[in-house]
Formats: sequence, structure tokens, C-alpha cells
Amino acid sequence: MRLDFVKIFLDSTAVLFRELIGPGVDAPSISMKPSPVAGRDVIAIIGLAGEAHGRVIFDMDMFTAVQLAGHMLGEPSPGMTPLVRSSIAELASMAIGRAISQINDGGMRLRMSPPTVITGANMVSYDQCFETLVAPFATAYGEVRVNITIQDLD
Amino acid sequence: MPEVEKDISKVKSPLTCLIVDDSAFMRFHLRRMMDSFDNIIASEAANGNEAIREYGRLKPDIVLMDIVMPGLEGVETVKRICDQDPKAKVIMISSVSYQEKVAEAMSAGAKWFIPKPVTTAELRRAIENVLSPTTDINRGELV
Repeated sequence: MRLDFVKIFLDSTAVLFRELIGPGVDAPSISMKPSPVAGRDVIAIIGLAGEAHGRVIFDMDMFTAVQLAGHMLGEPSPGMTPLVRSSIAELASMAIGRAISQINDGGMRLRMSPPTVITGANMVSYDQCFETLVAPFATAYGEVRVNITIQDLD
Repeated sequence: MPEVEKDISKVKSPLTCLIVDDSAFMRFHLRRMMDSFDNIIASEAANGNEAIREYGRLKPDIVLMDIVMPGLEGVETVKRICDQDPKAKVIMISSVSYQEKVAEAMSAGAKWFIPKPVTTAELRRAIENVLSPTTDINRGELV
């Protein structure tokens, strides 16, 4: 696990959340898990490739996603619309894009995939088990968990 | 009134803008910002190929271009648009803003770069700089 990169991802996410959602975003207490903890209703996945590889998964409840999107859009949303899905994807993309820019300016070469948002109840990941750093961000609209797996290429 | 908005509002007839982003949220967000400038008509493209097609059809005065998109990504799209029209005025708006990528976008023909999240003030400043009075945009001649 590249903990130096993890710190950049988390700092970038915290700064972006505070910019976009407001100052009431609590810095996370982080923990290491054997695989991602992402079983909530809404998940946004961004793949990482280049001189290291991995993925970042944001997961949150439906209520939180709809409220966050409403805040970003400047108007309430009636539910999980395509525009809400897109807002959550963009939130994740901005956080990770900013972190990747900082990492690349430090001399590494990392690329990110466009975000994929999946919605549904009782989602379970059957993905390969990779040690994952899990950071729960408390926002005014509920918790957003950020699951980060990033390793050097073997 | 901010100077940029004042300048935009002095333009004789509406300027046209093409917003290129795969994110519906960003297209919504940028369109709303552009609408607040009063004198700009915005259209949209959701990917690079659509952007090239729409640029050829509409010949917009300004293009707002994302970088990370599925399929044809933003820098290559800018290159193809500028090959088609070297006078194209493209403003890159992306969360991926490391120095090498910014340089790559400018080499491809982009005139300005704004890191996401973009503010209305940053967008106004970019448009003012890209649409300077010395440019020869047909309808963009300032009165």
C-alpha cells in the first residue's frame, strides 16, 4: 500500500468536500481492512493506473447522495436522478483528479479512469481482496466512506 | 458590475459557446454559469467525437473542454479541433491539472486552463482573456 499517496487522496478529498459541501466536514479516522467496505446504496468507483495501480471507491446512503447532489446543484433533487448520479461521479472525480495532479507534479505518473456510479440496495463486492484503507468522512448530509487501494506495480 | 461581465455584455450580438464534458452535472453547472453572463448562447457535447462534430457545425466563439472523458479524451479533441480551425478558442476545465498535462493541453491549442471546481469569477476571467478585443471573432467585436 502506498500510504504516501493515500494521504494525498484523503487530504484532497477533505479539502474538496469543505470547498463544495461546507466547513462541517470532519477529518476521518482511518482504518485498514482486508477488502473494500462499500455496501451502501450508492458507490462511485475510479480506477488508478500508471506507475502504481488501484482504485478508489466512495460509498454512501441514497439519502446522503441525493442531499449532497442537491447542495452541489443548488436545488433540491426529487430522488436518484441521472443528474444526481452525475453529481456524485463528479464529486469523486474532482477529489481524485486533484490528488493525481499533486502526485504527478511530484514526479510520478498516475492516470485515473472516468468515474462509474452504481446504485442499488444490499450491494456486495465479490472483487479480489486487496488491503484497503477506509476513511469515513462525516458531512452535514451523512457519512461518505472513501476506500483506497493503491500499490506499486510488481 | 465586474469588468468581465461588462465587456461580455458590450458584445454586439450573442457569443456562442460549446460546453464539452461527459459529466451531465458539469454541463448543467457550466451552462448555468454561462447563462448568468447574459450574452452567451451555450450548446453541449458529451464526448470528444461529438465535440468535433458540433464544432464543425456551430463554429462556436468559445469551447469549454474537459480532459478525462471516455473514448476520445480532451487534449486529443482540442488538437483535432485546432487542426480544423487554428483560431479555435478553447478553455480547458479539468480536475486533472498537473503541469505536464496543462502544457500538453496548451501545446494542443488550448488558450486557457481552469482547474475544477471552477468558479464564476474564474470563468469570467478566462473568457475575457481568451476573447480579448484584439481577436477577430466575427460577432465578438467590442462596440
